[in-house]
Parts: sequence; structure tokens; C-alpha cells
Amino acid sequence: MSERHRAEHATAAPAPTGPEHSWHAGSPDSAGPGRAAGWTRRGVLGSAAALGAGALTACGGNAPSDRGGGSGDRTFTLYWNAGHGYAAYTKLIEKFESDHGITVNWQKFQWPDLQTKLAADMQSGQVADLVEDDGSGWPLSYAATGDAYPLDEFIAADGEKIGYPNDWQANALRNSRYQGKTYGIPLHLTCNLLFYNKTMFAAAGIEAPPSTWDEFLAVARKLTRGDQYGVALNSDPGYLSPWMLQNGVQYWDPSTRKVMTPVPKAIEAMRFQHDLIYRYKVSPAPSATADYEGPEKLFVAKRAAMMISGPWDFVPIKKTAPDLDYGLALPLKRDVRATNFAGSGVFIPAKARHKDLAWDLIKRLTSLSVENAVTRETGVTMPRKTWAKQSWVQQDKQVGAVARALAYGTSWPNGIDATGKAPQLDDALRSAYQSTIVKNGDPAAAVRNFRAAAAKLVGG
Amino acid sequence: MVATVERAPALAPVRRRAPMRRRQARTALAFLAPALLFFALLFFYPLLRELYTSLFSGPRADVYAGVGNYTKAFGDPVARHAFWVTVQYGLGVVVGAIALGLVLAVILNQRMRGRSVFRGILLVPYLTSIAIVGLLWRNILDPDTGILNRVLHSLGLPTQNLLAQHPLATLVGVAIWQQVGYTTVLFLAGLQGIPELYYEAAEVDGASVWRRFRHVTLPLLAPTTLFVSVIGVISAMQEFALPYLVTQGGPDNASDLYVYQVWKTAFGFRDFGYASALSYLLLIVILVLSLVQLKVGSRGES
Repeated sequence: MSERHRAEHATAAPAPTGPEHSWHAGSPDSAGPGRAAGWTRRGVLGSAAALGAGALTACGGNAPSDRGGGSGDRTFTLYWNAGHGYAAYTKLIEKFESDHGITVNWQKFQWPDLQTKLAADMQSGQVADLVEDDGSGWPLSYAATGDAYPLDEFIAADGEKIGYPNDWQANALRNSRYQGKTYGIPLHLTCNLLFYNKTMFAAAGIEAPPSTWDEFLAVARKLTRGDQYGVALNSDPGYLSPWMLQNGVQYWDPSTRKVMTPVPKAIEAMRFQHDLIYRYKVSPAPSATADYEGPEKLFVAKRAAMMISGPWDFVPIKKTAPDLDYGLALPLKRDVRATNFAGSGVFIPAKARHKDLAWDLIKRLTSLSVENAVTRETGVTMPRKTWAKQSWVQQDKQVGAVARALAYGTSWPNGIDATGKAPQLDDALRSAYQSTIVKNGDPAAAVRNFRAAAAKLVGG
Repeated sequence: MVATVERAPALAPVRRRAPMRRRQARTALAFLAPALLFFALLFFYPLLRELYTSLFSGPRADVYAGVGNYTKAFGDPVARHAFWVTVQYGLGVVVGAIALGLVLAVILNQRMRGRSVFRGILLVPYLTSIAIVGLLWRNILDPDTGILNRVLHSLGLPTQNLLAQHPLATLVGVAIWQQVGYTTVLFLAGLQGIPELYYEAAEVDGASVWRRFRHVTLPLLAPTTLFVSVIGVISAMQEFALPYLVTQGGPDNASDLYVYQVWKTAFGFRDFGYASALSYLLLIVILVLSLVQLKVGSRGES
């Protein structure tokens, strides 16, 4: 599941956008001599021009001030996820500012708003210097349209020093490369795993968390009683991916340009989730809302004994149910033990004004010391192999569990963003998943419909 | 000669008035300039620019497509579906808000205690930010943790998953809930403009309450009804926030309203040209609907 599927959803309407403006405040008035008193045509036009210039100045004032270009441009614009404004990053950015004598215009957005902002930016040509992406492959999508900057030159110079790519989890790099070039660097790396309520398990005499789908179903049935469910499934299609991966299903096969292969396995995985709700009734039917927090609400309310989620739920659980005794188990296994990577990355837009500085900031953001500081502060897990191997990471109850689960992680999008059609495919997948999980539709039809929609979009 | 003498006084003021009118016109223009500039910069220019953009395709809207985006829209099942969903939504909201608003206005037009308080309470949803309304109802309607199902459960009634089972109807209900206060206030104003004399005359003639409502109230509220319906249709056809905040067009595109689809096309799929064409088609539909409503309304008034 990519972070875009579990993003803190925005409440604001999308920012308005428009094409690139090339206004001229006015042209010299060639009219005849003006009058000594009263409003003249020249006067009116002059006033209008002045007002227009004023309005344009005001518009410019709202735009990041590094847009002016030139050697005097000392503002660096950074787009960031609103939930990732950690103290460790604040401290790092202050140091970055003082080292370079530059001001960082650090703009934070919820993922959907950031996506909207980027689309508008790329259209207008006014872009940030460095952008945090949701880890699903935005850099590829922008690389395909020439809007992302290749980092190979920087990597050739500094890669060995910073341990890139060898010290990064190899599977996590899948969404960064387009036509042989690297366009993004993974920043955070997380994954889905199994959350279970230890108290409920103990009360039912269940000693260990389930490991396979069959065990999972048996435990879920045992723990479903009254208004308590064994598990709570999510309406967000991103939560489909671990089940698919565990059943050996590939979302995107670049060589054949086909989605959801092998098909029978995809249908089986979809059907299993459908049956958990409508056949075995061990999970409530998820609501079709715009958020992904339904299972977490039921889990903290002790109305669901298990859920599939990731470290993004650590803090909400701690805040709302600090006494909840829960455990974290490795991802489930069907054909294979697997889970999907989530997290985030960073990329430089092609029209960024401070590419060198952006690369310098990337190096700082991804250093092991900063990764450690962020993990200690927030529990967010990281993409470096050396980070995962540290004893303090391994020994931490929560962080260690995620770090161990990362070993089973793989990229669900698998580079699909390079097609330029990933958002349309996501939309079609959402529709297919909800038709089954929310609306009790036929799982086979859902997979077939999605594949048909994908065939229209990307061929194959 | 006589004629010349008679004309002279008539011509003289014309000569005097002309510079005055020009001065007045210039003054008026000067005062209007900021507003004109505002509209030119923030309304007419974007409108024309959008028309221009609608003639292009590609993620940067730089490939000339002519009217291709418009012809594509007519054959696009997704756009047609979104339009059809929007028509249903618009009809539901406009009819519902008018009917309920009229009923509430008639009730609140009676002399009763706490009338002002009720009017104030009715307006609260309308004055509340749509973002708050969306989040509020998303939480209320949550099948597992929402208040609605707790109330139903405590009353011994079956619980509901309205956003899964009836997403569009649920959005219509939320929109009516939000807008009915405004509609009620407008109808109240209309009701208070009807002279009491008409009702007294009807009563003397032996007209029942229903006949008074049917033959006095409704016809005299026609201008208000027309206004409310025109504004309501325009507003409903442009609805974006509710599907964005509550359902994201789901489940399975059941609440995929047209403007939400336009937004997805522009900012999600990065097809600004096609999104612009879809927007222009909506503009035309709204214009036609508004003109039809005004035409029908003016006939009714006459």
C-alpha cells in the first residue's frame, strides 16, 4: 500500500490553478495630450495599469519567492507532507539554511493536496526545488513527462559516499528508476503487518498470532462474537495489495503490460477478502468514506481483534487507547510471506532552480544519523539496510517488528507510474475493490472489469 | 424663424449636457475600473484561457486537439455517468430543499414562541463550512462508530451502512440538511411580502387552508421559488466538496459527481485540456438550464 492510500485526507478544496501568465501591465499611451484637470483616458488607463501591476505584484507575493531566478535568488522551496514536519527535520533544515545562507520556504500539504499542487506546478512551470513524494512512484510519473530531474550525475559523484544504492533496501528502489535513470530517492520505508489484540487473544486461548490465511480465518472466526469482530478490513484499495502479493499476484508486469497476473490468483485474493465480510462475517463491511481509519477506530474501541495496518497507526493508537495491549506479527503467508512497501521519497523537479542545493539536502535527509533521529522521535521506519540492522532498532518492540517485516516487503506499484496512467489505474482499482468489499459484488467480475479498464489505458 | 427660435433653447442644453455626460461617464468608469479590472483578471481571462486550454491535450496541455476533447466527452462513459449522477443529485437537492424549505417557512411564519430561535438554528448548517459538514456527517454515518447507528441500535432498529448502500441519496440528504435553512429564510421573506388582505379575502370566500396555500401562497411565492431553483440548480451542478470529503465518488463511482470528475481529470490524471472541455460543457448546460428556468418562471409570473 502506498502512502497515498493512507494519507491524512485533506479537508480543503483543491487549490485553484491556471495556465502560465504572461501579463503586460500596459503599453505607453499614444493618445493626444491630456487635460489639465479631470479624468482623462490616459489617466484612467494609467490607473488601470497601476492597479493591474499592483494586482500582479500581489499575485507574485503569494508565489514562492525563489521564482525570480538570478543570482540573488536565496529562497529554496521545499514541498513536504504535512504529517512529516518532524523536529529532526526542522533542526536539519535550520542547519541547511545557515550553511548555505539561504531561506527554506518549507510548504507542507496533505498528500492529495500535494498531488494537486504538483499537477498545477508542472502545468505552470513554477516548481519547488525539492518535493517529498508518497513513495508510490510520482517521480516516475513526472519523469515520463520530462518534469522530474535525473539524479544520476549526483549519484555518480556522491553515491558511494552516501551508500546509494547499495545501502537501500533493493525492492524499495523500484519506483525511482525510469528508462535506466534514477529520479527519486526513498526517504521513509514502511509496510503493512498484522496488528492483534493480545488481551482478546489470551481470553480466547489463542497463544500465537496467525501466520497463514487459513490460520487467520480460523482465529478471526473464533474471535467474532456479539458486536466484536475478528478483523476489520479497510475500504481503501491500497489495503488490497498485501493479500495479492501473498497470493503471488503482480499488480503490474512491465514486460507484458498486463495487470493483476496471474488472474485466478488475483480473483482468489479478492474473493478471500470478500468472504471474510459476506460469507464468514468476521469483518464488518467497510464504509465507503474518504478515509482509511475505519479499522483503526474499531481496533482501539476493542471491537476488532485484528487489523492489517502499518506504523502510521502507532501514534493514533497510543493517543486514543494508551492501555491497549496489542502485538505486531509478521505479514501473513499464502503462496509466499509478503507485504507491500509504503513510505515516501524525494525528487527534484526538472525546472527546480536550486538542484545542487536540493541534492545536498537529500544527502542530509537520508543520512543514517538523521534517519535514527526521526525514528527515535516518531517511530517512522527507514530504507537503509544499516538502519534496520542496528541493535536498538531490532530491540525496539514496534520499530523492530516493522524492520523485520520490511524483509518481506516488495513494491506493489512495481513501476506502473512510468506508464503515466497510474492515477487512472488507481481509480479503476478503487472502483473494482469497492464493488466487491463495500458493495458485495462478484470478486471475479471486479478483477475482470479492472483488467479491461487497464487494457484500455495501457494496452497489454 | 419661429422654428429656429424654438430650437435654440432645445439645442443649447444638449451642447451643455454633452461634456457633463462625458465627465459623468468618465467618473463612472473610474469608479468601475477596479471592479472591471478584477473581473477581467480573475474571471474573463481565466474563462478565455480555459476555453483555449480545452483545445489541447497531453499532461502539459500542449498538443493541439481542436474540438477533440469536446467530441471525446460525448463518447466518454465515465463523463456521461458523472453527468447523470449529477442530474440525479441536483434534482434531489433542489426539489428536496425547496419542498422542505417551503414547509418549514410556512410553519415558522406562524405566530409561535421561539420562532426567531428556530430560524437561527435552521441557518446554522448553511453557515457552517462545507469541510466541517463533510467531516461531521462522515463521522455520524460511520456504520461502526457513528452516532446514527448507535441511536438506531438503542431504539431496537436495524443499523445502516448508508454510505455503502445509498451513497448518492445520502449525499443528497446531507446537502438538503445544509441548504434548507437558507431556502427557508428566502421563503419566509417571500411569505412576509404577501399582503394579509389576500388571505382574508380568500377566507371570506370560504377557501380552505389548502386552497389558500395553493391559490394564494404558491403563486405569490413564484419569484422566490424561481430564484431558489435557479441558484439551487447552479449550485448542485457545481457540487464538489461533498463527494470529495465524504465518499471520494465511491463506492464504485456511485457518487462520482461531475465536478469531482473534472477535478480528478485535471489534477489526478493531469489532463487539463479534457478537464477544461468538460468544464465548458458544464457551463453550457448550466446556462441553458438557467435560461429555461427563467423563461418558464417569467411565463408563470405573467
